[in-house]
Amino acid sequence: MAPIDLLFTVLNGLSTGMAVFLVAAGLTLIFGILKILNFAHGAFFMIGAYVAYSIIGSNPSSLWIFILAALVAGVVVAALGFVADRIVLRRLRNVDEAYMLIATFAVVLICSGVVKLIWGVNYASVNPPPLLDGAIAAGPLFIPSYSLFVIVAGFVVYLALDIAIHRTWIGKLLQSVANDGWMSGLLGINVPFALTSTVVVSFMLAGLAGGLLLANQTLSPILGESYLLLAFMAVIIGGLGNVRGAFLASVLLGVIESGSSLLIPNMPGMATYVFVILFLLVKPQGLLGGHRI
Amino acid sequence: MTTLLNVDNVYKSYGSLPVLKGISLTVEEKETFAIIGPNGAGKTTLFRVMTGEVLSERGRITYSGHDVTGKSAHDRVQLGMGRTFQVARVFPEFTVEENIIVAIEARLRSRSERPLPWYRTRPGSSVREEAGALLQDLDLWSKKATEAKFLSHGDKKRLELGIALAGKPQILMLDEPTAGMSPSDRIATTELIIRLRAANAMTVVMTEHDMDVIFGLANRILVMNQGEMIAIGTIDEVRANPIVREVYLGKEMYGADG
Amino acid sequence: MKIINAVLFLACLAVMFTVPLWADQGILFIAGLVLVEVVFALSWNLLFGFTGLASFGHAAFFAIGAYLCGYALRAGIGAPFLLLILAAGVAGAVAAVLTGMVLLRRTTGIHLAIFTLALAEILRILVGYSTALGREDGLASIPRPSLELGFASFNLASGEAYYWFLCLAATVIAAFLWLVCHGPFGRILVSIRQDPERTTFMGINVPAYRLAAFTISGATSGMAGALYAPWAQIVTPESAHWIHSTQPMLASLLGGAQSFWGPVVGTVLFSIINYSTRNLVGLSELVIGAVLLVIVLAAPSGVVGLVRELRRRLSARVSQTGPGTEGKVGPKGKLVQEAA
Repeated sequence: MAPIDLLFTVLNGLSTGMAVFLVAAGLTLIFGILKILNFAHGAFFMIGAYVAYSIIGSNPSSLWIFILAALVAGVVVAALGFVADRIVLRRLRNVDEAYMLIATFAVVLICSGVVKLIWGVNYASVNPPPLLDGAIAAGPLFIPSYSLFVIVAGFVVYLALDIAIHRTWIGKLLQSVANDGWMSGLLGINVPFALTSTVVVSFMLAGLAGGLLLANQTLSPILGESYLLLAFMAVIIGGLGNVRGAFLASVLLGVIESGSSLLIPNMPGMATYVFVILFLLVKPQGLLGGHRI
Repeated sequence: MTTLLNVDNVYKSYGSLPVLKGISLTVEEKETFAIIGPNGAGKTTLFRVMTGEVLSERGRITYSGHDVTGKSAHDRVQLGMGRTFQVARVFPEFTVEENIIVAIEARLRSRSERPLPWYRTRPGSSVREEAGALLQDLDLWSKKATEAKFLSHGDKKRLELGIALAGKPQILMLDEPTAGMSPSDRIATTELIIRLRAANAMTVVMTEHDMDVIFGLANRILVMNQGEMIAIGTIDEVRANPIVREVYLGKEMYGADG
Repeated sequence: MKIINAVLFLACLAVMFTVPLWADQGILFIAGLVLVEVVFALSWNLLFGFTGLASFGHAAFFAIGAYLCGYALRAGIGAPFLLLILAAGVAGAVAAVLTGMVLLRRTTGIHLAIFTLALAEILRILVGYSTALGREDGLASIPRPSLELGFASFNLASGEAYYWFLCLAATVIAAFLWLVCHGPFGRILVSIRQDPERTTFMGINVPAYRLAAFTISGATSGMAGALYAPWAQIVTPESAHWIHSTQPMLASLLGGAQSFWGPVVGTVLFSIINYSTRNLVGLSELVIGAVLLVIVLAAPSGVVGLVRELRRRLSARVSQTGPGTEGKVGPKGKLVQEAA
């Protein structure tokens, strides 16, 4: 195995990791603040992808349209998230963990069903937009431009979130609500507003991710699943509710996943699962454990 | 009188915070031993260490001749230690009667007094009778079919006591048995404990805040403050101890005498 | 009340046993699948509804049993079918004990869910990788066995014959689970679910009981898998997929997780919904998802809970008895009802 393969694997892993983070970001945000583990996140990711697909079709005409479609997808899904919050998530705040998982899983089924009814079960694929459909030569390495795009996108989202949470007033608001919602309410913080905006932002991230990652895979109703599983694991390994942790964990899992396809291509995902199990046995609270975002 | 429980130089810290700094006490058979101290003294932690909820870092605990320092909670219960919780914990979905039945069955299974056939879906008549007698003792017979979650606070506390008693403990550990009760409930509970204690020849260890309850029930007291033992002895000995007065009892208790 | 229950129960049994007489092959096949899934769901709910542990990877036990049985039948090693079923149970139990010993001491709740999920996925990948087990295509053309009982031999090749065997087997396993759930062991499990700490202080070794429940659950799921293999006559890695793990969950919650019969009701309802919406792709998921959502938000004790509540209100109006003497929700209700 030449060092170039290793380098490629790492870069590929980075790209996968960023893709996972794009999905995990919203998930971890919602868990950190609402203490809800939202299975439906993957479904909304999928809806975002389908919405973006509806706008740009299989061959996006330019990079900007591509990004725009992703943003639109984010907004649409955020709106859906708002509705979902009113109807479902609000009632889940005090429910047993298992019931919460089941309820959000029910939302997954509903979304999946709706998507199938509207768009059918056919697979579709989207090509990367111009500017991103080539590869960049860096020394002996050919890096698909799209992978670089994903890496950049992942970093941008992470930085935006990190700054928003740790440096802005709204971030401080969310942090205090995450720490102690009741107390925050007593201090005059508009807790329902914080909670609802968290949901909306989280879903927006899911939709955005769906749009941004569109060119990465074939579009089908089971789209949400593989990413969701990885994102879930990243959230738990990162320390439930911790955005920085989720970021690190996503990258870690991405690299492991990538390495796994290189070393044991016949057993997809095996290394990741084994790693998750071993990690959780040793450090169940996660990389940067604790409930704070 | 034989020593039933022996706590020898026990230490416990939570992380870097030392909570118990060398506590030693002995409890004789059939006596009632109380542990008091201001908030943060470490009473609850000591209680937890004695019952096995947490394990101490240093020191030994001997119960009924067995070294139980490293033993888990359920092992200690099987050896005869029963306990109640500060906030009454009963099984909310079970009825009052079922709460007691389950406790009796748990005792039968774990002590193998009479191993229960696993397929016996309806609790045997002897189990029911025992439950019934206990419920009558606790004055809960009329409510036996009520689900425990609908009980009032006082009733829950008595039911909890019932669950502990159903285990036929040799030593009963009571964690603030009158916490949160109204004065009349407090008196009723004290009388109940006196009656049950005599009827079952039990040794009792309790933590408490209410001095009247202590004076009504305890033979000997341990006074703690900030993880250390301030005084230990009979009620009169402790009352007379000036350090105790200063730390805990307060001069108001003695009126003008100060 | 007891008479109504008994009559209903017997009626259901009658319907179950007579399916081959009035249904076509397609429905018969589905009915057989329902029986298998019922056992699977009851087995899962022992762990969830009674002990309070949510396993998200239960399909692994099912797959272990299915593959074991399917492989043995295809290889024609001549082992008696009943023995194969028992072996599948043992295999499931062993797998449960091994994983349970590691997991149950440290994790519950979400961590347990993810753990069991990951382990099941690992199993699925391993199975999909193994050539001996047919890789992604699995084991096909599994022959239906004949039942050798020494004094008689029954050929189970026909749909009807195997279906009746399924009825018997499912009834036996369900009866066993019923006894486990309603005896003192089951009551202790329910205490553990409500308050593990309090239960510890009644002298119960909670981790040991949880492990025991996990083992029984794993064993019966394995047996369900073994019953499945000759019925469907094909076993694929999809049997271990996490989607399959969600079926007993959904069924139990739909029917009512805190009642013993809830999973049965739920599985049947689930199948009915699936069947009636099969023509429009996506509709079944929509309906099931919507129903589940309603259940979790409005009626967490499921269909059975709703029915019990309804009965309680009706009979409370008829006879002016106090609260709690009639139909309570949950298995505990049975304890005192008999005495009243």
